[in-house]
Amino acid sequence: MAVCSCGYDASRPFKVDPQEAKESPGPIETFLLRNKEMPGQQRELALKFRGSASEYFRIWIVNLCLTLLTLGIFSAWAKVRKKRYFYSHTTLDGTPFQYLGQPVPILKGRVIAAAAFLVYYASNHFFTSLLPYVFGAGAVLAPWVIVRSAAFNARYSAFRNMTFHFDGGYADALKEIYVWGLIPFFVLGTMFNWWGKYAVAAVLVIVFSFAFPWWIKRLKNFLIGHTSYGGRNGAFSATGGQFFKVYFISGLIMAAFLISTGLLAAMLLAFTKKSQLIALLALVPIYAGYVLAFAYVQAHSSNVVWNHTRLGPLRFQSTLLGRGMAKLYVTNALSIIASLGLLIPWAVMRTLKYRADNLRVLQEGELAEFQGSDLLAVEAIGAETVDFFDVDLSL
Amino acid sequence: MITIEGHYYDGRWPIAVPATMEFTGQDALLTANLTSGRYAVDTLKVSPRIGKTDRFIALPSGGQFQCADHAFLESLPQASPSEGPVAWLEERWGVALAGVAIVACMLLAGYFFGLPAAAERIAARIPIETEQTLGKQALAWLDEQGWFTPTNLDKNTQKGIQDGFDRLRSELPLKNHYQLEFRAAGAIGANAFALPGGTIVITDDMVKAAESPDEVQAVLAHEIGHVELRHTLRSVLQNSVTAVVVATVTADAASLSVAVAGLPVLVAQTKYSREFEAAADAFAFRLLKQKGHSPAAFASLMERLAKQHEQEERAFAYVSSHPVTAERVKRARAAAKE
Repeated sequence: MAVCSCGYDASRPFKVDPQEAKESPGPIETFLLRNKEMPGQQRELALKFRGSASEYFRIWIVNLCLTLLTLGIFSAWAKVRKKRYFYSHTTLDGTPFQYLGQPVPILKGRVIAAAAFLVYYASNHFFTSLLPYVFGAGAVLAPWVIVRSAAFNARYSAFRNMTFHFDGGYADALKEIYVWGLIPFFVLGTMFNWWGKYAVAAVLVIVFSFAFPWWIKRLKNFLIGHTSYGGRNGAFSATGGQFFKVYFISGLIMAAFLISTGLLAAMLLAFTKKSQLIALLALVPIYAGYVLAFAYVQAHSSNVVWNHTRLGPLRFQSTLLGRGMAKLYVTNALSIIASLGLLIPWAVMRTLKYRADNLRVLQEGELAEFQGSDLLAVEAIGAETVDFFDVDLSL
Repeated sequence: MITIEGHYYDGRWPIAVPATMEFTGQDALLTANLTSGRYAVDTLKVSPRIGKTDRFIALPSGGQFQCADHAFLESLPQASPSEGPVAWLEERWGVALAGVAIVACMLLAGYFFGLPAAAERIAARIPIETEQTLGKQALAWLDEQGWFTPTNLDKNTQKGIQDGFDRLRSELPLKNHYQLEFRAAGAIGANAFALPGGTIVITDDMVKAAESPDEVQAVLAHEIGHVELRHTLRSVLQNSVTAVVVATVTADAASLSVAVAGLPVLVAQTKYSREFEAAADAFAFRLLKQKGHSPAAFASLMERLAKQHEQEERAFAYVSSHPVTAERVKRARAAAKE
């Protein structure tokens, strides 16, 4: 794994030498020469999300309507339109991102996903004897799905006329996902019904829960390390311990809510016999605890990922808060329910804005460290050919 | 001549260079910084319009020119022509309001009429034999997992119930597909199930809870109703379509709000389930009268069972899989009087 060859090297300031570059200097070269940045200087690239709820509402409803009218076929076009909206309203240093995905590969991906779901559904409901084999096939295919969707997303995301790339392969993904043999063990266990033995199951659940943060770290490291932009691969330096801390605190939050609710319910039960009512009321704080714990994981694992990611001269600072995310989730859910779904687009916009507002992009070095070079030409040919495996599997 | 201000990106460095493009007839002149390039207009490709954001013009050289949206850009070759009409629709509030109305009508009509009617028709075309393996597997699984144990009822009781059951089914279209199974089921208590394919299970507790043979027949008639009306298959069809449609509509919100996607599915599916229960009740009342039993036996049994777990009702009416007992009892008494 050649991952970390890409951290910013301050001792190597980028030089543009007209004689060396091309016979005649292009517009960028001359522009660079005239507007040379000071090496070692740090500056912030403004990241802004400018989507508007009223504009996105119209896009959402038109695409939803067409999707329902075409019995789902239009959903691939709808995805492209929505992604275009999100990307083009996110600007970095004043330039919007570009989504270049095309509907047909997405449609293919959805057909494949639908077929896989049908197989799973049929075996789950009608041919239960086949279920272990379906799980086995799913486990074999999972790395492929991860790799394909990462590659698709990278390849069709562009900034300043340069696309991202993902160069992870099936074998790498297989290694990263199943590294400790934990998941195959789980799959085998499900296949041969080991779970009947409660002691085995309990031990496995505990082992798996504790290993999970390290597994997430490896997966993130795999995805970030194999994603590149302008010839620079991402570098990821977070440790499993940092993820463990996030999950552990969220577990404590959940436990605190459960225990205090339990104590309160026990006290109330001493005074009244309406046990059904108390059981129902107890669900409220338990659910609140769940939302808070979930929001905490979302916010802080996102922070861990961004704050330990570097891409060439860029590093990131994410300042999401569990409280903020929980507030967002709750107000979103309430408004969506109260408006019978009509406020979904508004909720999407404010969530994206909240995320963008809490992410800073810092540049330490020159953007010209990113070089598109000739990869672009190769890519253009690749995109023209009808490649069956050019499918978007990220639903 | 039209001149558009913007930025140029050469595709080799992520550097924005202020630039202008001048269009004269079939000719486009790009001036970026100190250099310039001339292109034929029909070799350009303009990115689709979305909202009010900037557009990108791809040049045959691999470079790209970014500029604010401009009506003139519509006359240039488009990178994704199929999106043009969609963008046109997306810009209009009238279209959006019509969209809300159409979506609401489609969802309501589909939910209340279209989907149940379609599921009924499809179920009628699929022979019940296809469900039989599933029913056998389900029973075998319940036996294996210890939910069910062999019945403790004596042979005479079993025979009496079996004979009544055979009389009930004797004239029904699916009469040859029924199989009655007796099981003891401690944890489940007094209950009866219609498994896929025509297998009906009645628990010992249910037989004991009944105070007359007519009450047992009433329960069996209800389960026969589920089989005869193909409720297993219809609920699988209706529930899966509901889940897919809800997932499509709430796709954007699913990742934002944990509760949003699950709740409507639950409410929608339990409504169908209550309708099936009511339909099976109505079927049972007709069948019982036809065979000379009184639906009133169903009412008395339901009331007795309800007393055993009284408090739960009402509060959960909208998320309950079964109709409220009082309503079922009222209907059974009304059917008995007719």
